[in-house]
Amino acid sequence: MSRPFPYTYISCPCVERPVSDPSRKKETSPRKGSSQPAPEINDNDDEEEEKDFDPRSPRANFSLYPPEQLLYCEDCHQIKCPRCITEEIVCWYCPSCLFETPSSMVRSEGNRCARNCFSCPICTAPLAVSTLENVSGSGSQQGPWVLSCGYCMWTTLDIGIKFDKPTNIRNQLSKMTESSRGRQMSRAYGDLKSPLSPLATAYSTVDGPEVPPDDGKPPADEDPAVLGPDARFAALKAFYRNQLSETSASPNDPLGTDFGAGFSSPGALNRIMSLYTSSTLSGLYGGNSKKSKPKPLMMREAQTASEGLKLAASDAEDTIIQRMASDDCGWEGLASSEQRVFQFPEARFVEDLLPLPTLLRTKRSKRCKSCKHILVKPEFKPQSTRFRIRLIALSYIPLTTIRPLAVSPSSGVTSSTTLLAAPTPDLNALQPLQPIQILLTLKNHMFDPVRVTLGTPSVTPGAVATKVTILCPQFDIGANSDVWDEALQASNPADQRSSRSGLTGGYEKVAEAGKVWDKGRNWTTVVLEVVPGLLERKTGTLNTKEKKDEEDAKDARHARDATSDGGWSDSDENETTPPPGHGLGLETQSSPAPAQPDEDVLEIPVFVRMEWDSENQMEQPVAKGKPEMVKRELAYWMVLGVGRIEY
Amino acid sequence: MPPKAAKGEYIETDTGNKISRRSNIHGTQHIILGGKTVIQTDAVIRGDLYRLPGAHPSSSSSTTGDSGEPTPAPAPAAPNTPSVAVSIGRYSYVSKQAVLRPPSRLHRGVHSFYPLKIGDHVFIGERAVVEAASVGNHVHIGCDAVVGSMAILKDFAYVLDGAVIPPGMVVPSWCVVGGAPARIVGEVGEGYGVEGAEGGLARERYRLVGR
Ligand SMILES: [Zn+2]
Ligand SMILES: [Zn+2]
Ligand SMILES: [Zn+2]
Ligand SMILES: [Zn+2]
Repeated sequence: MSRPFPYTYISCPCVERPVSDPSRKKETSPRKGSSQPAPEINDNDDEEEEKDFDPRSPRANFSLYPPEQLLYCEDCHQIKCPRCITEEIVCWYCPSCLFETPSSMVRSEGNRCARNCFSCPICTAPLAVSTLENVSGSGSQQGPWVLSCGYCMWTTLDIGIKFDKPTNIRNQLSKMTESSRGRQMSRAYGDLKSPLSPLATAYSTVDGPEVPPDDGKPPADEDPAVLGPDARFAALKAFYRNQLSETSASPNDPLGTDFGAGFSSPGALNRIMSLYTSSTLSGLYGGNSKKSKPKPLMMREAQTASEGLKLAASDAEDTIIQRMASDDCGWEGLASSEQRVFQFPEARFVEDLLPLPTLLRTKRSKRCKSCKHILVKPEFKPQSTRFRIRLIALSYIPLTTIRPLAVSPSSGVTSSTTLLAAPTPDLNALQPLQPIQILLTLKNHMFDPVRVTLGTPSVTPGAVATKVTILCPQFDIGANSDVWDEALQASNPADQRSSRSGLTGGYEKVAEAGKVWDKGRNWTTVVLEVVPGLLERKTGTLNTKEKKDEEDAKDARHARDATSDGGWSDSDENETTPPPGHGLGLETQSSPAPAQPDEDVLEIPVFVRMEWDSENQMEQPVAKGKPEMVKRELAYWMVLGVGRIEY
Repeated sequence: MPPKAAKGEYIETDTGNKISRRSNIHGTQHIILGGKTVIQTDAVIRGDLYRLPGAHPSSSSSTTGDSGEPTPAPAPAAPNTPSVAVSIGRYSYVSKQAVLRPPSRLHRGVHSFYPLKIGDHVFIGERAVVEAASVGNHVHIGCDAVVGSMAILKDFAYVLDGAVIPPGMVVPSWCVVGGAPARIVGEVGEGYGVEGAEGGLARERYRLVGR
């Protein structure tokens, strides 16, 4: 995992939807707290039987998100991850000059900056407009201008391009590349029009309006290389559009409608109207009166250069090969495939590469996929970082922070007391079998107090079995109060926290089962007791079971999961490692010494179930006076990335 | 920056800046710290690279960094106000061995320095080299990253570890950049920067320093 320890990820409940039974009554409230400590485990109805979340399963990657990336839908009362939402573009802007491009212009001109922003065709760094005359002194700024890369030092001089003025570079460039005769390709570099644009003027680069050619006319050979790629594309597009409208003029042609009204728009209305007067079927089956219509023209291919036909020179490939083989080309002179991806297909050599106008980016609003309510709506202006609507999950679910507690011999660690004198354990080198205590703080951002129930498998899934105990799995968190209160008291609670858990306080305070560690206005801290598992020889840790009922129950459930439902997550985890529950006794034989990468990462799945009463404001706007209180419930899995176990 | 508490690794200034005694700060009269900013061991801040007065009567660079303006400079030591080389906002954090150097540019044949403006709640990772023209609020610059001369990092920009931001590059708000040369590889979530969450840890980070 890429984040430094400790970190928290949250699993979006939508991960269960694909496997959930559609006949379930509660689609939106995901799980019962099945993993909360015994004895309530068996109280749940059978269809709600749950598996513990396995952060190592390949599926987990698709549901785990950093909390700040999650949204919350107030109508569905559910966490929403990027898979649960749809996006709409609010504005297009250039990431380099930060100017907005109207969407109409994006449609017609393509999604690239029309100003002076270009990226280097060699290395993708942004190009700067700089003057050549700069060095001569502070006098004139009139010198020719070039685009230059500050990263790889490429300039447009390398391809023989200079600009007369420092503005409107894109136009200058397209004119230049269009008209320059020396270069074999990119004659009409054009302006990278959006291929899908209905407004793209087809003949902008072709001389004169196209006359529908008579058939049989041989390809015009007057100027074999008239068109550059863009112009040729435009010509071809216009040609085929023309062809479509001509050949589909007849209502009998089913293709005409299949291609949509966008093509052949002149005839569209005609065609639609004639659908009502003549049936296609009658036309197909050689119907009656429509026979008098002239047979529609057959579609043909482009035949002249002005239509977009390009004949390859017979020695074209030889020329390229010779050029590649020549000494002044070499490996350096060849364009890499990454470079060529964004260039015209003919570009083979570094000299063929042209500066690329910067791709635009978008600001997007986001909607809940299931109820279509808007969850995020940013300000329209590209530079603004404000939001008109922003329903982030962190405003609803508790903000979770974890911190290792300073190791103290007198703390409530049961098994061993031979602790090293480390003040706080190094999260990047957790000692196997050495119990540590972790402070888990949940901070409530809602204005209602919340009751939280935490649950965790007593042994982490995966090859490295770490024992985890939440000393106080059920607790309350106070309501968040006014923003101003919080601002004024911002430093207090945390100061208390850190002082209490500091070197001096840590020795006095002892974590007790069933009691919260600390509590503030809108936050509560509980202690997690963690015994990191052994990485290589796993039997030792696992079989020294704590004699706790809940753990027995968990283990039993583990085994049941693995056997009964085949373990959808476990089975595809790793061919060499058996499902964790199932393999409890077998692991000595079946686990090879060097296991998966990151197997030493200690990630603890924790099931969070929160309940609170809130005013029912959504459904009943009419009922004034006493607000009706509704019971709300939200449950999800989160994963605590605690550290890395040393071995 | 008069030292308040003389013990421990950090000097704490009147405005709450915590500055490691083992940091390398040059040209202090050209540096403005907004308060509650942390400067770690072996961090280098080159306040000595300021624009020479009189060389350019015109106002500073044309870049419009709208990042949080630092609090006004303390009373200038010299009779004429020294030009600002580096300004850092509140709750920003300069990690070990990071280097902050004002950007420079060849302008009309003269090589001159421009101020480096850093906003509030900015994190600068270990061994990062920053030569930006402006760094907005809540910007994260990863370890070993290089931010090229005159680059502009807008609010909430996120620079991945080891990224090399080419000179003059603009990183828009919320964008994640990485690689060498850096490209926009993604966006941070909408919750980024919320107090206590990713991007909003600056106060907590500050609090833990020197404890
Ligand atoms: Zn989801
Ligand atoms: Zn632009
Ligand atoms: Zn380059
Ligand atoms: Zn919804």
